[in-house]
Amino acid sequence: MLTTNVFARISNVLIMDRRKFIKHSSLASSLFFVPSFVKAFSSYITAETGYKRLVILQLSGGNDGLNTIVPFRNDEYYRARPTLALKKEDVMALDTDLGMHKSLLPLKKLYDKGFVSIINNVGYPNPNRSHFRATDIWQTASSSNQYLQSGWIGRYVDQFATAPYTALELDHSLSLALKGETQNGLAVQNAHTFYKITQDPYLKNIASYQEEAHLSEHNLGYLYKTMIDAESSAKYIYETSKTVSTSVNYPNNSFSKQLKTTAQFINSGLKTRVYYGSLNGFDTHVHQENTHKKLLKTYAEGIHAFVKDLQSKDTFNDTLILTFSEFGRRVKQNSGHGTDHGSANALFVIGGNLKKPGIYNNLASLSDLDDNGDLKFEIDFRTIYATVLNKWLDVNHEAVLFKNYKQLDFI
Amino acid sequence: MEQKEMKHLYWRAGFGINPKELEFLSTKSREDIIDMLFYESQNTLPLKIDTHEFDTLTQEQFKKTDKIQREYIEKSRNKIKELNHAWVERVLNSHSVLQEKMTLFWSNHFACQNGMILYVQKFHNTIREHALGSFKELVKAISREPAMIEYLDLKQNRNDKPNENFARELMELFTLGVGNYTEEDIKEAAKAFTGYNHDFEGHFVFNENHHNTQFKYVFGKAGRYEGDDIIDIILEQEACAEFICKKLYRYFVNDALNKEHLKEMTQVFYPDYNIETVLRYMFAQDWFYNPKHIGNKIKSPIELIAGISNTIPLSFKDTKQLVAVERMLGQILFFPPNVAGWKGGKSWIDSNTLMLRLKLPSMLLSKATIANNKKGEFYDSFQTYTKEKVANNFFKTTSNWRVFNSNYQQVSTKDLAQYLLQCPINKGTLNYLETLRINNKQDYCLQLMSLPEYQMC
Repeated sequence: MLTTNVFARISNVLIMDRRKFIKHSSLASSLFFVPSFVKAFSSYITAETGYKRLVILQLSGGNDGLNTIVPFRNDEYYRARPTLALKKEDVMALDTDLGMHKSLLPLKKLYDKGFVSIINNVGYPNPNRSHFRATDIWQTASSSNQYLQSGWIGRYVDQFATAPYTALELDHSLSLALKGETQNGLAVQNAHTFYKITQDPYLKNIASYQEEAHLSEHNLGYLYKTMIDAESSAKYIYETSKTVSTSVNYPNNSFSKQLKTTAQFINSGLKTRVYYGSLNGFDTHVHQENTHKKLLKTYAEGIHAFVKDLQSKDTFNDTLILTFSEFGRRVKQNSGHGTDHGSANALFVIGGNLKKPGIYNNLASLSDLDDNGDLKFEIDFRTIYATVLNKWLDVNHEAVLFKNYKQLDFI
Repeated sequence: MEQKEMKHLYWRAGFGINPKELEFLSTKSREDIIDMLFYESQNTLPLKIDTHEFDTLTQEQFKKTDKIQREYIEKSRNKIKELNHAWVERVLNSHSVLQEKMTLFWSNHFACQNGMILYVQKFHNTIREHALGSFKELVKAISREPAMIEYLDLKQNRNDKPNENFARELMELFTLGVGNYTEEDIKEAAKAFTGYNHDFEGHFVFNENHHNTQFKYVFGKAGRYEGDDIIDIILEQEACAEFICKKLYRYFVNDALNKEHLKEMTQVFYPDYNIETVLRYMFAQDWFYNPKHIGNKIKSPIELIAGISNTIPLSFKDTKQLVAVERMLGQILFFPPNVAGWKGGKSWIDSNTLMLRLKLPSMLLSKATIANNKKGEFYDSFQTYTKEKVANNFFKTTSNWRVFNSNYQQVSTKDLAQYLLQCPINKGTLNYLETLRINNKQDYCLQLMSLPEYQMC
C-alpha cells in the first residue's frame, strides 16, 4: 500500500514536471526556474481514500447552549428563563433529559443516524467572558491567564504541514487559530478570487524569477517564500477544486457558502487537513428568541447539505466536523429577553465513524452554578483538541498544545 | 551624516524621507539631525474628533432604554472608526514623525480596547502626552484610564474580592516580563489597586470604601502601599528598564537582540525612565547604523501605508474602506488582538496579507494595475497617462503625484530604487526588472513599491 502510493506520487511528479517543462520552455526565457519546494507540493493530485480531514466551525458571539441542547424536564431551567425557556413541544427529545431546539431538525436527522456526538459542559478553568479574549483562548488553546500569539491549528501547521494549504480558513483573512509560530494556514473565501489575486502578471513574473538558493531564512527570504507559496497554492487550489461540482442544494447564505466551498475542496481531493469556518451573530443579549431560532436553522440546514454533499462523493467517513462557540450564556435570562455571556457550553462532533454517538456526558447541574451564575465546566476544551490531534490527525498533541492532555473516547 | 544613515534613521524614527529632504539635511551632523527629530516631535497636540453627542451625555440618558443604549453603542463604535481615520491622517501628515512612531509603539505596548469613544480618545491622548516623556508617569496615567480600568477588570478589583487581572498584566506585559516577579507579588500588588474606578464621563474615581488599606508585601518590601507606590517599586527593579529597552530595541533596531547594546540602553534608561533620553542615546550610536540592521525589518501595515504616502501624499476618503484595508492587512488601530498587542515582524505576513501588501500601492495609486511591459513592446506612454488620469483608483483615495514629481525631480528614474528601497533587490527580481521597459518614473515607482523589498525598512 505504502509503496504503491509513493510510486504513484513520484510518477505524478515526473508527469507534471514534463508538462511544466513543455509549457514553460515555450514561453519563458532560460532564466525561468521553479524552486524545488514549489514542485514538491504542487504536482500530485490524487484522491486518496483514508485521507482524514478536520472541519472546525465557530459559532461566534457565544451560542446559548441551554437553548440549543435543552434540559426540557428541568424545573431550574424554566425558573431561570421565564420568557426564553423553550416549551416542551418546541423541543425534539434526544433522551429523557435533553432535547434539541426545533430549528435543529436537519441536525436531528443526522443525530438519529448516529453521526452526532454532543459533548456537554466544555470549557476551561477561570473562564473569561469577553468575546475577544475567550475566542483567543479557544483559538490559541491557552489557559485563561496565558497569552499565546499563535493558534493551535497554526502550530499544527508549523509541526506537521507538508504544504501551505494544509490548513484553510474559508474567509478573506486569517484568524489567530491558523497562525503558527513560523508558518500559517491560508485564507481562501473563493478559490477563483484568490487565484486571480495571485495572477497579477508582474508579481507572477517576479515569483518565477526566484531561485530557491538565493532565498535566505531571514525576513526578505521569508517574504519571497510566502509569495511563491501563495501563488502556487492558489493555482493548485483553484485548478484542483474546479474539477468537481455538486448537485446538492445549499441554502443561500454565507455560512452555507463556506461549507459548499469546503465540500468542493474535500471532494476534489485537495490535500488539506484542516478547514476553518464560522457563523456569526450569536451574541443574543436582547430579544434572543427569533435571532437564535434563525441562526440554529442556518447552522443545521448548512450542515445537513454539507454532509449530504460529502456522502455523495464518499468523503464523509474521512471528515470530522467540530462545532464550538467561545462561551455559553448565563443560565438566568436578563431583563431584555436575552442572555448574557456565560462559560461552559455544549460542543458538537459530527462524523460517520463516531465511537460514542449521542449525548456524550450529562449536562452540568443548573442549581450548582459558578459565582457568575454560569454552568460549571467539566471537560477542558483542550482535551478535545488533544483527542482530535492524536486520534484523528494522527499526530502527537503535545507538540501542538505544549502539554499532555487526557484524551477522550468520542472517536 | 551619510545619506544611507539618514534614510535608515528616518525609516526607523519616522516613515521614510524623500530626496529633497535628504538634500536639505546633507550638510548636517548626526547630532543636529537627532536634535531636529526631537524638536519637531515636541508637538503633543491631542487627537480629537467631534464627539458633541457624547460630551454632554449622562448615564441616565445613555441607559434610558435598551434600544437607546444600543444606539449609543453603535454610534460610539462608528466614532471610534472615525478616530481611527483621524489617527491615520495624522500619521500621514504630521511632521512630528517620532512622536507618531512612539504613539504607535505605546499603543501596542499598553494594548487596550474599549467601546466608548470618549474613553478611547482619552486613553489615546494620554499616550500622546507621555510618548516621549517619563515612562513612570505614563504607567501611572495608564493605570487611571477608564479604558484600561475596564479592559483589565480594575473595576471588579475590590478589597473584599480582589481581581488580579490588571496587576498581572502590569507586571507581565507592561513593565517586567515573565520571570521577574512571583505570583505572590501579583496578589499583593492587586490589593494596592483596589478602589480604582471611573465615572461615566471618564474621570478617574478612587473609591476609598473598596480600597485595601492593609500592609502589602511586594518585592521584599512591606507597607500600606497604593497603586502608584507599587508602580514606583516595580520601576525600582532594573529588570523593568531592561524589559522596556528590549522592546524598544526590537521596534527600532532589530528583531534579534544584541546583549551589549541592550545593556547600554538599560543603563541609560534606568533609573529615571526618561524615554527621550534612551531614544537619543540609541539614535546616536554607531551600532544603530550597522549595515546589518538596515532594511531588515518588516514594516507594520501602518508603516507601509505611511511610507507610501511619504512618497506620494495620500488621503483616504472613506472611513469604512480604510478600516477594511486595515482589517485585511491585520492591524485595525484601537483593536489590538489582545492585551499582548501585535507581535510584529514576520507575524504580519501570511499569504493573504502579503499579496494585499504587494498590490496595495497600485490599488491606492493606480486602479490596481502594475505595469509589466517587456522591453521592445509598443507602448504609448502618453495615452496610458491620460487614461490613468481619468480612471478611478481602486480605493477612494486622493494621491498627489505632483508632490512626488517635485520631490524626485533631481532623481533619475534608474536611481529611484536607492531612494525607495532600504534593502538590496533580490538577484532574481533584478534579472526580471532588467527585462522590463521603464515607461516613466511613476510606473517605475509603483513597480518598486510592489516588490517584497518595499515591505522592508
